[in-house]
Amino acid sequence: MSKAKDPRELIDRYLQAVRFWLPKSRKQEELIAELGEDLRSQVEEKEAEISRAINDAEVSEILKRCGAPMMVASRLGPKQHLIGPTLFPIYLFVLKMVLLYIMLPVFLFIVGPVNLASAGGNWGVAIAHTLGNLWSGLFTAAAVITLVFAILERTQVFAEINCKWDPSTLPPLEKQESKTSSVQSVCDLVFGCFGLLWLLLVPTYPFLIFGPAAGTLQVGSIWHSFYWPIVLLSAMNVARAAIALARPQWDWFPKFGQLISTALTLILLRFLLDAAGVGSGVHWHPFVSLADNLKDSSPYVKVLAVVNAAILLGLVGAWIGLCIAAPIQTWEFMSYLRKRSSGLHQIATLRVL
Amino acid sequence: MCVTYYMANGSEATTELFENLKLELRRGCLTLAVLTQLRTERYGYTLRKALADDGLEIDEGTLYPLLRRLESQGLLVSQWREEDKRNKRFYRLSEQGEKILEQLLAEWQRINASLGKILQEA
Repeated sequence: MSKAKDPRELIDRYLQAVRFWLPKSRKQEELIAELGEDLRSQVEEKEAEISRAINDAEVSEILKRCGAPMMVASRLGPKQHLIGPTLFPIYLFVLKMVLLYIMLPVFLFIVGPVNLASAGGNWGVAIAHTLGNLWSGLFTAAAVITLVFAILERTQVFAEINCKWDPSTLPPLEKQESKTSSVQSVCDLVFGCFGLLWLLLVPTYPFLIFGPAAGTLQVGSIWHSFYWPIVLLSAMNVARAAIALARPQWDWFPKFGQLISTALTLILLRFLLDAAGVGSGVHWHPFVSLADNLKDSSPYVKVLAVVNAAILLGLVGAWIGLCIAAPIQTWEFMSYLRKRSSGLHQIATLRVL
Repeated sequence: MCVTYYMANGSEATTELFENLKLELRRGCLTLAVLTQLRTERYGYTLRKALADDGLEIDEGTLYPLLRRLESQGLLVSQWREEDKRNKRFYRLSEQGEKILEQLLAEWQRINASLGKILQEA
């Protein structure tokens, strides 16, 4: 371990360390000279106070009081930033808009399905490709946005915009978003409960689904695999309505619950249509079949075909409707989150002010 | 445990908030104090000492950038000169600095009087 012979040498070493962290310029040398002069004056004063030459420990104490070289350099040097405090909120807003509200949905609803189609329906490969594309896309977009804002910061373009802005160009006041009313929640809950009860009773009382045709028709074997998932989904919807009613202050919940319910229904429908043999060319599993004692009765076969076609059309229609609803609900939920976070930010700012 | 954690964090946050607000409060006052002290020519260390003796401690990392800024704004003039066999940079108020200081002191008196009144009413 090297030890300084002259305690003052520590000051030179300290100044050298501070100089390392300062940008090279003439001003840097002046700052270092001034700091050195200040420290030497402190040493002199200390020596005058103790009436002897200062030692290493005492010099160290002075330097410690002054601060670590990097910290001192950061205080002494010019204040530098890539994006300044004026532009930073706008930068953050643009970054969030592009990454969260544009790129993420694009990858989720366009790139993902395209990758899935090109991977021949292999979910693992499609997800891996989509995630890889998403990562590089997000990274590139963030880098480009940061670069653009760094250029704007240097060129001071926003300062000009600030001078030129016209209050009449401000957007009109936004309408207060209507919250889910308690009446709607009660209706959801009541009808949800009836629906669930009906679903639970259907296996025992086929009359509830087929009416007078209960003696002629019976549910197809396909429903045996999907009955309990459907019951579970219905129960979840009832629970969703109950939570929305019990916790009206969770204003995020109805939108979030709706989105989850749509996603789960979509998955269930997809499996149901696959199992029925739609589009796969495999053996067709009807949704409804004739009662065992009427298997060969030709007049009923036509009726059965019409009923199955109607159910199939209904399910495909529901699938298409939900495919349209899912991105809309996602957008609504993300807009809600964006508004909520900007609202919280405004409240925090007001509190600070 | 949670309460202790919350309290510790709450106390830390309060201290940080206080330090930030104190820094803001001091910033303008320091400028005024430095300009006032530099009616008489001084170099960095003696200026720091004079301010500390009057109860306004200021560290090197704050003082020297402040002096540089005030000089670049034309409120101070500086000169490197040898004293006691060492080169030192001496600062004093410029003509413009004197005028601005007069205005700032008047403003300070006005703010001080207003604040005094507000505190009395509170």
